[in-house]
Amino acid sequence: MKIRRLKVLAASIIILTAMVLLVVSGIRQTSVMHFSPAGLIANAETANDQNIQVDGVISEGSSTWDAANFKLTFAVREREGTETVNVIYEDNLKPDNFNDGGSVFVEGRYDAENNRVVATKVQTKCASKYEGVESDTDMETYE
Amino acid sequence: MLIDKIVNSIQQVTAELGQAAIWLSVLSAIWGIVALSIGLRRRKPDYLQSGRNAVVATFILISVATGTLIFGFVTDDFSLRYVVEVSSAAQPLLYKITALWGKMSGSLLFWLWVLTFCGAIVVWQNRKAKDTLADYSLIPIVIVELFFIVLVTGLVQGIYNPLERFPNGLVAPDGQGMNPLLQTPSMAFHPPTLYVGWISLTVPFAFAVGSLASGRVSSEWILRSRRWTLFSWIVLTVGITLGGHWAYQELGWGGYWAWDPVENVSFLPWLLVTAFLHSVMIQEKRSMLKIWNILLITLAFQFTILGTYITRSGIIDSVHAFAQSDISWYFLGFILVSTAGVIGLVVYRWQRLKSANRLESLLSRESAFVLNNWLLVGLTLIILWGTLWPIVSEAIQDKKAAVPEAFFNQVVVIPGLLLLFLTGAGPIISWKKITPNNFRRMFLSPIFIGLIAAAVSLPILAFRASTADVSLDDAVVQVSNEVQVAETATTNIFADMWNFLTFGEKSIPVYSLLCIFASVFVLVAIFNEFYRGAKLRAKRQTTNLLKGLWLLILRNKRRYGGYIIHIGIVIVYIGIMGSKGYFQLESKSLQLGDSMTVGAYRFTLLDTYQENHGNYDRLGLIFDVEKDEKHVATMKPARHYYFTTGQGDTDTIESAIHSIGMNDLYIALGDIPPNIRNGGYVNVQIYHNPLIKLVWIGIAAMVIGGLVAIAEKQEYKPRPATA
Repeated sequence: MKIRRLKVLAASIIILTAMVLLVVSGIRQTSVMHFSPAGLIANAETANDQNIQVDGVISEGSSTWDAANFKLTFAVREREGTETVNVIYEDNLKPDNFNDGGSVFVEGRYDAENNRVVATKVQTKCASKYEGVESDTDMETYE
Repeated sequence: MLIDKIVNSIQQVTAELGQAAIWLSVLSAIWGIVALSIGLRRRKPDYLQSGRNAVVATFILISVATGTLIFGFVTDDFSLRYVVEVSSAAQPLLYKITALWGKMSGSLLFWLWVLTFCGAIVVWQNRKAKDTLADYSLIPIVIVELFFIVLVTGLVQGIYNPLERFPNGLVAPDGQGMNPLLQTPSMAFHPPTLYVGWISLTVPFAFAVGSLASGRVSSEWILRSRRWTLFSWIVLTVGITLGGHWAYQELGWGGYWAWDPVENVSFLPWLLVTAFLHSVMIQEKRSMLKIWNILLITLAFQFTILGTYITRSGIIDSVHAFAQSDISWYFLGFILVSTAGVIGLVVYRWQRLKSANRLESLLSRESAFVLNNWLLVGLTLIILWGTLWPIVSEAIQDKKAAVPEAFFNQVVVIPGLLLLFLTGAGPIISWKKITPNNFRRMFLSPIFIGLIAAAVSLPILAFRASTADVSLDDAVVQVSNEVQVAETATTNIFADMWNFLTFGEKSIPVYSLLCIFASVFVLVAIFNEFYRGAKLRAKRQTTNLLKGLWLLILRNKRRYGGYIIHIGIVIVYIGIMGSKGYFQLESKSLQLGDSMTVGAYRFTLLDTYQENHGNYDRLGLIFDVEKDEKHVATMKPARHYYFTTGQGDTDTIESAIHSIGMNDLYIALGDIPPNIRNGGYVNVQIYHNPLIKLVWIGIAAMVIGGLVAIAEKQEYKPRPATA
């Protein structure tokens, strides 16, 4: 009787440990630093040549679309600030909802010398992601 | 214009009527709780009846409120703030109505409406019940209703009442409209389907609480709410699939699942319900896991609430969203208090909840079910952890980090493959303890045939792997070298799911092989089950095998429905393996007349076209697709340019998808420049997605299996104590 319970306990511990290891190694291998543009510039040294995520807004008038070379370049601006980081995104389609001033999320490798992210993923605010907490500000626009 | 005048004067009062209904529903819900409690405590049938009536009344009142809001949408009542935010005069009628769940306030009202509907159905289903279990269970349902009623009244700062008008009689000239991306049928029905799946989980949860409160802690609550649980599972399956299908068709990145937080929170309750559907069988058969089952359904229910909170509050974007309103406290407070309540009840009933039996062997059906539960709950926690990692990392180290898709793809593989194996092993392993005889009879042929299938597929997989758009080096680096992982993780997200291992010069797609072995193992195991059962039936009824199969399924719809679901799961796995692990992708800038090659297919850009569709223009390209110099298909990817722009963009990608067997060719376009006919370039991405159709077919099989299982009406029969 006791041995059986011990076996069950041992099996449970093994499974639990395996799961924890899986998560820890997964996080260690894949976790990337996440910045706002200003934060990225401030941490340029640690972030240099690292995979990072940066999110902010598409700086007005910064985006150019070079169709012949399949290349999108733009700048991510701090939401409430002026700091910008340049982004280059090649061989990928410009995402839907890509508008000046719109929210944007960029994943890629940071090149501190040129203050530039070579992006592997550019996402605009996902349409299926619903808006945050509603404030009363939109109402004031009608008053 | 008499009609306009009438509509106008009705509009003057509808919102107020709806608001009054919401406030009245506060009273009726409270009365429901009070009357049911008194009725149960003092055993007064009058009070019980009054409480049940209050539950129905709450449903009617919320229906009125929802109806008035829909009226506001249909008649373009732009004095209503919510209507202005999600609708516009030019929006097609269908999308005016689906705008109901376009944003937070409205979706909470919709949620509440469905929940009160569920409450009313429970009253109706149990109108002839001879005991009070349903009355006990109605109380938690009404408490949850009250939680949502308070939200839609607008009392909690941060959420406004969906029937609120602009102050001072202000009327907006037009609404802001719904994001064009959401104006497609699958997106119109994806959120409400998910909601219905989530909401209906409240009922089995409430029955668990009801059984604790009443002290009748047998399996009765499970059987009486079984159809609700299955219903919820089926609807969640459909709802999640609609979301994936929408992403595949609309977003232009050739995939259907990206481990986005919103997707994750829809998936987590599904995993937990799946675990629950399995663990309850142990309770029914062996009187074990009683506490576990109660906690599992509680967790699943709490995840639906947590899911709404996570997707709606913006907390994933920043922890600081937490402090910005009272919603966080309101939601988390509810989750904590209600969980504490359930745990309190469990402790209170501790003596009655003790297991009648114990695990007798690690190799038994009980153990297989327990392992299945561990894996499903473990997966849930892993995915939750990854989803919350941005919040956790920001909170504990003040530095925000995040895990990309690669994390999820990587961590789900091993538990996922184990689960796949259990899909076949669970149904054929014997109860209590595996015997050599059981092993020989049930396991040998599935294992043997599975191994043969894996061996046969090895050369095919190896060849496919070498032509797939997964650089082998990258994938190998990924397994062996964690420093460089990040580099490949983002570029070759798909690679890590079906990793390769190298032995000297040779690369072996290990996970794919395991997947094929396990899939064939499951299929053979389940085929055996069907075949043996059908043969026996046919012999007993002296009929043929096919009729025997039919009788077999009819006789035990729950069991064989479950097996059909398992077959569906296998099909989905094969589809994921093919589409995630072996897809090919080419990106190129093309001029008219140019060609590009993807795998065995050659695509030539022939021409452009333009169509007008009411509120948008469709601008597209015409591709000729050839294989071995022979015409295969004509594909017409496009972009839609919307005239009335709301909060969203003005154009959307409309991918062209052409299926060949189980494989898809998929073309997505960048902007089409005005000078396309004069040498302008257009950006094109073309995918070859092998076996992707199997994903949809497998899910269809799962839904069919679920419908078979739900068709069985199970009555609760008390078992003898020695069961």
